[in-house]
Amino acid sequence: MERSLTGAQAPEALARLRQSIEKIQHYQHDNAPMPLGLSEADRLLGGGLTLGALHEISPSAPVHLGAACGFALALAALSGKAGRSGRETLFIQTDMARFEGGAPYGLGFDLFGLPARRLLVLRARRALDALFAMEEALKCRGIASVIAELPDDSADLTATRRLSLAAREHDGIGLLLRHRSASMPSAAMTRWEVSAKAGARDPHGGLGTTSFLLSLVKNRRGPCGRFRVAWSHHELAFVPEDPVAVAAPFADRPADAAIA
Amino acid sequence: MVTTVRSARQIAALNDEAARLGLRATMALADARAMYPQLVAIDADEAADRTMLEQIADWCDRYTPLVGLDPPDGLFLDISGCAHLFGGEEDLRRDLIRRLAVQGFHARATIGDTPGWAWAMARYGISTSINETATNSVHSRASGNPDSCRRISQHDSGFPLSRGRTEERHAALLPLPLAALRIDPQIAAPLAQAGLKTIGDVIDLPRAPLAARFGSAFVRRIDQALGREEEPIVPRLPVPSFLAERRFADPIGREDDVLGTIVHLAQELARAMERHGKGARRLQAALFRTDGKVVRVEIGTSEPLRDPTRIRRLFLDRLTVLGDEADPGFGFDMIRLSALAVEAFDAVQTGWGTGDPARETAHLIDRLMARFGADRVQRLVPQDTHWPELASIAVPANSIAQGKDRHHDSAKDRALEDSLFQDSRIPVRPIRLFERPEPVEAIAQVPDGPPVQFKWRRVTHDVAYAEGPESIALQWWRNDQGMPVTRDYFRIETRQGVRVWLYREGIYQDKDNPPHWFLHGIFA
Repeated sequence: MERSLTGAQAPEALARLRQSIEKIQHYQHDNAPMPLGLSEADRLLGGGLTLGALHEISPSAPVHLGAACGFALALAALSGKAGRSGRETLFIQTDMARFEGGAPYGLGFDLFGLPARRLLVLRARRALDALFAMEEALKCRGIASVIAELPDDSADLTATRRLSLAAREHDGIGLLLRHRSASMPSAAMTRWEVSAKAGARDPHGGLGTTSFLLSLVKNRRGPCGRFRVAWSHHELAFVPEDPVAVAAPFADRPADAAIA
Repeated sequence: MVTTVRSARQIAALNDEAARLGLRATMALADARAMYPQLVAIDADEAADRTMLEQIADWCDRYTPLVGLDPPDGLFLDISGCAHLFGGEEDLRRDLIRRLAVQGFHARATIGDTPGWAWAMARYGISTSINETATNSVHSRASGNPDSCRRISQHDSGFPLSRGRTEERHAALLPLPLAALRIDPQIAAPLAQAGLKTIGDVIDLPRAPLAARFGSAFVRRIDQALGREEEPIVPRLPVPSFLAERRFADPIGREDDVLGTIVHLAQELARAMERHGKGARRLQAALFRTDGKVVRVEIGTSEPLRDPTRIRRLFLDRLTVLGDEADPGFGFDMIRLSALAVEAFDAVQTGWGTGDPARETAHLIDRLMARFGADRVQRLVPQDTHWPELASIAVPANSIAQGKDRHHDSAKDRALEDSLFQDSRIPVRPIRLFERPEPVEAIAQVPDGPPVQFKWRRVTHDVAYAEGPESIALQWWRNDQGMPVTRDYFRIETRQGVRVWLYREGIYQDKDNPPHWFLHGIFA
């Protein structure tokens, strides 16, 4: 973990090579990347999350599905922010995923930072339907982000490649929310593994803001890394938490108060 | 075919051969059996007859969109303004009888200026110089039953006639029996006893005593037959505001051809709708197969639509899903595109480069709905209740106006957050909710307190922190399905950092109904 954070020379060089190959292959994106507001992560990602691309998110263990979903929603909320307002988010869920992991809850989405009135929900019968709908939605200019939740490994290399190509037509982001981390190859730009992290308490001793432990396990444009972040649903921003365990002095203080 | 009338078995329909032997409909089966013991009798299936009649009505849609049912065996077609498309009334009638005969139906069709007149002539009329009727019975193939014979009467009406012909038509009505007036046999019987057997007998009688003795319905029937009173034909299907259709000499079957035709028709439709400043909200393509089946493909749109390429896209998606249901068989010989519902829609400047994102989203919604069904593309709408399952409901995405108040998002969000009093930094509602709360085994330290440990999906979780309870009660006026009255919700953080929404139903004091714990939602 520490090694990738400090960024050894070899991965950096590899990333430069990859970027130059991408240029040759006309992979060049006109869109400026979407900064996550996390200096370390943004540096590894080359400025931020690539727009007009596919990204994969999965929980590090099945029990962390809520956190993985929360991270996807946070990215969707960011993608609908500033300059891209008026565009919507499509949340695609297969019936199986709905049965296993619960249905999207409008009030919860509102409070988390993704307004339900800018949300479209598609209930797909099969994973194949979900992939079709995701591809179509990525080609649509009115959609800022598409989240497709699949309980199984149905999105293979071909499928993810199709989705990446579709995403490239505009600047929408495709988020593939898997219930299990897939081992198969994928054409996605990045792959994240998310687990919930016991967050700090708030000043009154209640539960603090949502915290994630993010593992960037695949990054086409640079090295991987691990980050501890909190999501401020009020400010619609990620707040970095110190990667080094300094929890004790901060335990009674909320993370965003420390920043302010 | 046999049916039961007042607990007696009666012949309902019979084939040519039986008719030749002297049997007839309404004869008691026992009498017929006495004459011919080897008679084969089967029960009449009224539901199947009805379905068959509706299928024929569907098929008759090719002549006019105004087709009314006259069960058990008749149809009304309003052909006002349609006849010239088929080379005149008489040609239309011949074409109809010929095409039905090819399909195995014997039909009698009469064209009249009132539905009543046409009904009388089709059922009781004799061959006249005005109307030539075919009288050969054919076995009905389509029923799949070789022994049944079906007589389908077609009554066509609605063409204005000159005065001279009108009088001629009145005269034709006079010798017909009273039953031709579509009256109840219970009214006809006493009239017959009084010696009034034909329409001519009653037509000039004083009306007031007739109405007093036999009811106003009887007099109205006379007026309807003579055209003194208007009788609208009740169309079976809604009559579209705009429609365009195309017929083919050679049936087409390839999907490309069908879609190509739909584009042409959509262009025609678009021109017509543009003149009236309308756009379609619901479109239907009726594909008439050569063998008489009609495939109807319907699409809905979330905003008024005229663009032919978009219409094509929607039908392409719909047809892909239908698959075998839209099987062309030996091909389609006619395609009709109709706008079933229209709304005001003013022309807008369109261009590929500057497409409005909201409009593109609307089109995406339409396409997803066409492909996956209208109930699967949803928007989540908050409701005025605290009961979690009911507080946010999913409605079809095209049922609510899109993009309203978009610029007030943040202000409204803040207002929403303020309205939900919050005692912690995490949102008070989970992002995911189980449709059916999942039962968990939980251990609480004190009876009304939060759990210290719970077992969900066979995994034990230790509670690191709990917030609550938040008691939520179902409104008493909704509580008619025996739902429990209150739930105590807790926001739980486990040792692993996973945050879930648990609730307890019931209280510990109640010995008969011990409390149960459920996991209802997941926080991020």
